[in-house]
Amino acid sequence: MTPPATAAARTDALEQAPLIVGTPTDRVLNDELLDHVWNPKRGWKILFGIALAGTGLLLTGVTVTLARGIGMWGNNIPVAWAYDIINFVWWIGIGHAGTLISAILLLFQQKWRTSINRFAEAMTLFAVMQAGLFPLIHLGRPWFAFWLFPSPATLGLWPNFKSPLIWDVFAVSTYLTVSFLFWYLGLIPDLAALRDASRSKAQRIAYGIFALGWRGSARHYQHYRIGYLILAALSTPLVLSVHSIVSFDFAVSQLPGWHTTIFPPYFVAGAVFSGFAMVMTLMIPARKFLGFERVVTERHLENMAKVMLVTGLMVSYGYLMEHFIAWYSGNAYEAFVFSNRANGPYRAIYFAMLFCNVVVPQAFWWRKARTNIAWLFIASLLVNVGMWTERFIIIVTSLHRDYLPSSWGMYAPTWVDWSIFTGTLCFFSLLFLLFLRFVPAVAVTEVKELRHELAHAHAGGKEAAH
Amino acid sequence: MSATSWVLAEYRSEEELYAAARRLRMAGHASVDLHSPYPLTRSDEVLGLSRSRVPLLALLGGLAGVATALSMQWWTNAVDYPINVGNRTLVPYPAMVPITFELGVLLSAFAIFFGALGLFGFPRTHHPVFEVEGFRTASIDALWLSVEVKPEEAERVAEDLRRSGAAQVAVAPEAG
Repeated sequence: MTPPATAAARTDALEQAPLIVGTPTDRVLNDELLDHVWNPKRGWKILFGIALAGTGLLLTGVTVTLARGIGMWGNNIPVAWAYDIINFVWWIGIGHAGTLISAILLLFQQKWRTSINRFAEAMTLFAVMQAGLFPLIHLGRPWFAFWLFPSPATLGLWPNFKSPLIWDVFAVSTYLTVSFLFWYLGLIPDLAALRDASRSKAQRIAYGIFALGWRGSARHYQHYRIGYLILAALSTPLVLSVHSIVSFDFAVSQLPGWHTTIFPPYFVAGAVFSGFAMVMTLMIPARKFLGFERVVTERHLENMAKVMLVTGLMVSYGYLMEHFIAWYSGNAYEAFVFSNRANGPYRAIYFAMLFCNVVVPQAFWWRKARTNIAWLFIASLLVNVGMWTERFIIIVTSLHRDYLPSSWGMYAPTWVDWSIFTGTLCFFSLLFLLFLRFVPAVAVTEVKELRHELAHAHAGGKEAAH
Repeated sequence: MSATSWVLAEYRSEEELYAAARRLRMAGHASVDLHSPYPLTRSDEVLGLSRSRVPLLALLGGLAGVATALSMQWWTNAVDYPINVGNRTLVPYPAMVPITFELGVLLSAFAIFFGALGLFGFPRTHHPVFEVEGFRTASIDALWLSVEVKPEEAERVAEDLRRSGAAQVAVAPEAG
């Protein structure tokens, strides 16, 4: 393994760190990037065991909920939405980075997306799965979940399509499906590379089936490339729509603290912020242990830190504007909700949110902070925590004290709430570990294409200089 | 259908590959194809491919999604079971936008994904080119050319390709 390039290796102060370290051949890239599938790393089984055990918590929590009812959770009037919706919004926000990296950065021709897109797309899929679980079990009788979709039944009833909650059903299920199709379409050539590099007949047959018969044909690539590009163009507004629609669940209601027009853009920025933080949290250990340092370089991490800085500033602007409008509107209830956030019983969580989401990303103004791996990892964890507390603040503090002081109350989660939340963290890790074990985590085909493009550009540049 | 043979040849550079493909097309072989581990920049032009129909499929899928969503929301909530909320309009177009957008994207994505698989003829895991063991490098690091010919022509075409500088040439038979 060659060591990653350091700043000292740069020839010019203005030239950025490389996207691919060294000049590997296609064969070397193929061997290195698929190595984690052929030779599982030592710690994998231990991590898998922990994640599997933790998934037991999820099963326990869900079983208790189904057997005894959602009264086992801490939410009750006035705080009727709590962990279920906090965790739903948190997970779905995390699920935004994958498609943003894959689709939006593809359209903007940001070449650095190539090494991290597949990884981020998988994270998206698994995060959206966790997200979907929460509203599903919050239905109380999840076996009637199909009532959310228009299905002809003896009742003769249809869903009320004027409700943002129904929009949410369509947005999240469309997002999950389209993200899966986008991920799988991109994966087909990589699965073919796995099939052809496989060492046993069983592997060859298994990957052969999933590769669907891909043979790298130029006639297929013609349809493939344009199809992938249009799918990216469709996914771009889709990403923006999903968290906007999630924010409508709140913004369309009359509740002070929820009823604001800034919610859609502010939610989308927060989603991208937390999604990039999660990609960072997962990528920093993965690139080290799976040997992706050649293709996921300092420059990739630095660019992700820049995106976190920008989206963190947008989120900070959202906080500022919410408080400003609460004061400027002259509405006593709005003003109370926002002063209650900073002075009420949940103020510790409020200040934790401000610290994690507003203060922490400011470090990324400095290049030293953007390229310090340990700091990036800690900051990404803090942002994950910060975005969770943000959803807690939005949901719980707005609900617990609204118009009538006689109906005020407090909320505290129960052990069932905690085990379902921790369980989804473990289930997410479980799915991600399976992905790292069996599927190419870096888009091998796209990295090879990028290598050729960079080589051509380099050769062209030399000729022009002469 | 009569039986055909597939002649495969590996080339060391994109230029040699393109040159060989052009010669075969000039000689009247319409079924020339190139195989590479990553998309080649000039393959469409070398093979003389017409525009892909995938964008059209995407458009049709999207329109079908929009039409489905609009008619579904209108028929269920205004015709079959009208829900009158404070005498508000039964067909509120702004409130229909989110679902209309989502279904448009969904059906368009289905059209792209399954349309592309249909155009590829996938799933097809038993293609004759896979009979050649060396062809496995086509998805790893090698550039290959394939052409479908009549069995009696196979040897002659293979010989031509060998002389044109191919690194290796193989013939894969296909039962018709």
